[in-house]
Amino acid sequence: MLIEILEMEETKAKFILRDTTPAKANALRRALLSDIPKMAIDKVEFHLGSIDVDGKDFESVTPLFDEIIAHRLGMVPVPTDLDLFNFQKDCVCGGEGCPNCTIMYSLNKNGPCTVYSGDLEPLGSPDFRVKDEHIPIVELSDGQSVLIYAHAVMGTAKEHVKWQVANGVGYKYMPAVTVKSSANAKEVAASCPRKVFDIDGKDLIAARPLDCILCNSCVEVDGGKSVSVQGDDKNFVFSFETDGSLTAEKALMKAADLLSEKTKAFAESISDITA
Amino acid sequence: MIIPVRCFTCGKVVGSAYAEYVKRVSMGENPEKVLDDLGLERYCCRRMVVSHADLIKEVSPLG
Repeated sequence: MLIEILEMEETKAKFILRDTTPAKANALRRALLSDIPKMAIDKVEFHLGSIDVDGKDFESVTPLFDEIIAHRLGMVPVPTDLDLFNFQKDCVCGGEGCPNCTIMYSLNKNGPCTVYSGDLEPLGSPDFRVKDEHIPIVELSDGQSVLIYAHAVMGTAKEHVKWQVANGVGYKYMPAVTVKSSANAKEVAASCPRKVFDIDGKDLIAARPLDCILCNSCVEVDGGKSVSVQGDDKNFVFSFETDGSLTAEKALMKAADLLSEKTKAFAESISDITA
Repeated sequence: MIIPVRCFTCGKVVGSAYAEYVKRVSMGENPEKVLDDLGLERYCCRRMVVSHADLIKEVSPLG
């Protein structure tokens, strides 16, 4: 299984998986979706009662229920360094929560204002400041305030989607578009919803074959006289995005590592049974 | 009520895109171009932003 990178941005990746099978491509998709661990806010403590700021009295009241605010905070992507943190259950602290498994955030705002994800202040290293600072959490009117302590812990998407690193993970068979005749060039080019074809003079050219979605519109135009379209089930065009907690490159590396670890463990347990 | 943090279907973060979308469209830009520009490619994420009714300002004084 070879990976040929087409695009690799901070949070977005597109690549070709070469010499593989649909089962392996799907295994990689599933590893990306649900096996990569990341940090996400899991426990939120709300200050209750009145808060006195410079002689003005604020009530810890918000237009949204506390549960909804806690849920919204959970969905905010928290920057994750997989080398720094452990799962809480495997941590030296025995699951109590310590700097090796937990990031603490505080959030203190008084209305009228909008509370944004950027208002989350990490206690400790400023590296853990949320990267996307403009996600609205709640809106406060005059006299309302929030004082929150939030704990981010490591988890995987098998437990909750807030620990899902990659989204929009998908692949398609590598399209093979062959031009057989340029007789109906204009009609064929116009029929393609993804604009795969260019017309050079009178010749029909498959200029962007990777954009093809194997819809067969170009074949149906004249019963397959001009072009043939085939999906290659040994090569795949694969793409995914991350939520920003990990870079696309790190997510892909981690998914590949986890996949090989899992297959090795599986092979070992099989050989134990057969031995 | 308030724009969801993530797309219900795919999980992409859409919360931060809403304010910019509203601002740019009210200044007369083409909504389609703004959505493309904000990186909302799939129609699941696009509908989150396009179809959102921002009513939290109506209820926040009642909190």
